[in-house]
Amino acid sequence: MNIFRTTLTILRKELSIYFVSPLAYAFLGMFLFLAGLFFYMGLALTGEASLRVMLGNLAISLIFVLPMLTMRHFAEEQRAGTFELLMTSPVSLGSLIAGKWLASLTLCGVMLAGTLLFPAVLAYYGDPDWGAIFTSYVGLFLCCGAFCAAGLFASSLTDDQVAAGFFGIVILLPFWLVGSAVTLAPEEWRPWLEMLAFLPHLSGFTKGVIDSANLAWFASFTFIFLFLTYRTLESRRWR
Amino acid sequence: MIEVQGLTKRYGPFTAVEGVNFRVGEGEILGFIGPNGAGKTTTMRILTAFLPATEGTASVAGFDVFEAPMEVKRRVGYLPETPPLYREMTVGRYLAFVAELRGVPSKQRYKRIGAVMDKVGLTGWERRILGSLSKGYRQRVGLAQALVHDPPVLILDEPTSGLDPSQTASVRALIEELSGAHTVVISTHILREVEALCDRVVMINKGHIAAQGTLDEVRSRAAAPHFAVELGVTGANAPGADASREVLKAVGALGEVKTVEPVDDPREGLIVMRVIAEGDPRPAVASLAVKEGWAVHRLERVTPTLEDAFLAIVGEEAVL
Repeated sequence: MNIFRTTLTILRKELSIYFVSPLAYAFLGMFLFLAGLFFYMGLALTGEASLRVMLGNLAISLIFVLPMLTMRHFAEEQRAGTFELLMTSPVSLGSLIAGKWLASLTLCGVMLAGTLLFPAVLAYYGDPDWGAIFTSYVGLFLCCGAFCAAGLFASSLTDDQVAAGFFGIVILLPFWLVGSAVTLAPEEWRPWLEMLAFLPHLSGFTKGVIDSANLAWFASFTFIFLFLTYRTLESRRWR
Repeated sequence: MIEVQGLTKRYGPFTAVEGVNFRVGEGEILGFIGPNGAGKTTTMRILTAFLPATEGTASVAGFDVFEAPMEVKRRVGYLPETPPLYREMTVGRYLAFVAELRGVPSKQRYKRIGAVMDKVGLTGWERRILGSLSKGYRQRVGLAQALVHDPPVLILDEPTSGLDPSQTASVRALIEELSGAHTVVISTHILREVEALCDRVVMINKGHIAAQGTLDEVRSRAAAPHFAVELGVTGANAPGADASREVLKAVGALGEVKTVEPVDDPREGLIVMRVIAEGDPRPAVASLAVKEGWAVHRLERVTPTLEDAFLAIVGEEAVL
């Protein structure tokens, strides 16, 4: 069986589990509530027909929300013994990870699609910059992909879902906080800290620019964490 | 069908299995027995290409487990000790997922699932949520997932653990039905199950193979077949120590009898002994008893059970 078919099989299985359990609905509800709140705050504070404030704040809230979405992936498989089922079936570890990552990303896509109501509202009452809105969504989607990869890595470290969710937040939090620490840090550290922080890379997108350096940042972040997930799961079998 | 040579698995300083060798022929049922922590599950996990071995080789259905793990996985149906189920899924959705995962072509998938559900007694249960099933039904679903791609090799880790007697009987009947068309390896604590089902046995203890062979070969490791004799000696000949000795001597003097060992027995008026003989000494013992006026309470051929062998071999090693 080729790798794409097994990835698709895993993707479908994950989506069916998401939507039969209350998790996906609770998650969507919470995300849309936050998005609505940030949209209102953005409009009230700036009076601009833009999503800049909403998307920046949503990206920060993803640090806390996405690990809740990805925490069960490997932790629960290992606890319930279904990891053994997957690994004794002709499925490569790569397609297993890809399937799970794509499933989380699909849910993020559904979630972002739910916020498309806000640009529609802006268009009704004002004249938004559609280019900037489009690139903001691209940036946020890339951010979701990166955070889901980190969440999957956290989930591969333990067979306790709650611990996995907590690890996910602990892994992601420094990439936000480091941005605030830039002004406090010694001069020679600043370029490094700015490179690590995720908000500066996202802000390019919210301004309507798709910069290849920013694209590469999110792509590398995603790749590194998916690779770490692979190595962790592989090494679990040796222990 | 399965060939294992010099298989060793170490977890850091701990050795789970060491130097394990065995073969399983096509269509055979092999019983894998041993105390808890002996290395049964580790060996099974290596055979299913779930765990890599530290040393040694293993091949399943002609494919090396380490060099061609995907080919092995396609040909093996595995039921771990706890059935690997997604609690949120329905029985039908779960089996469809496993069938898809194992590469059952979509045209045959539903026919195959129907056939397997019928075989394990799950017909009509497609829409039930796995999390709501009883242990017995979960075990059935576990068996169904192992069978869904019709693999030539089945590896079942304690397939009847936790089942009630009627469920156990039906799972046993199913395994028996599967032999011939499938090569089956089962691990179990229930030795009677092995005696009822298996052609050959591998007994493993502390990571080493303690005994292997056909059932009779392994049983004979415990003790040679012998005869249990109980004679009632009453009245003038009531058994004192001397009378007992005389009775034992008289039995020992019979032509077929090789050795006679007295067995302590609390019952009054009985002389109990264990006789090892060439051929069958029972007619001669009976004639002697009639001649001497002893009552015959028991005159029976005793074949050691697998349990005797297990206790003798594993107990023996435990002392070492």
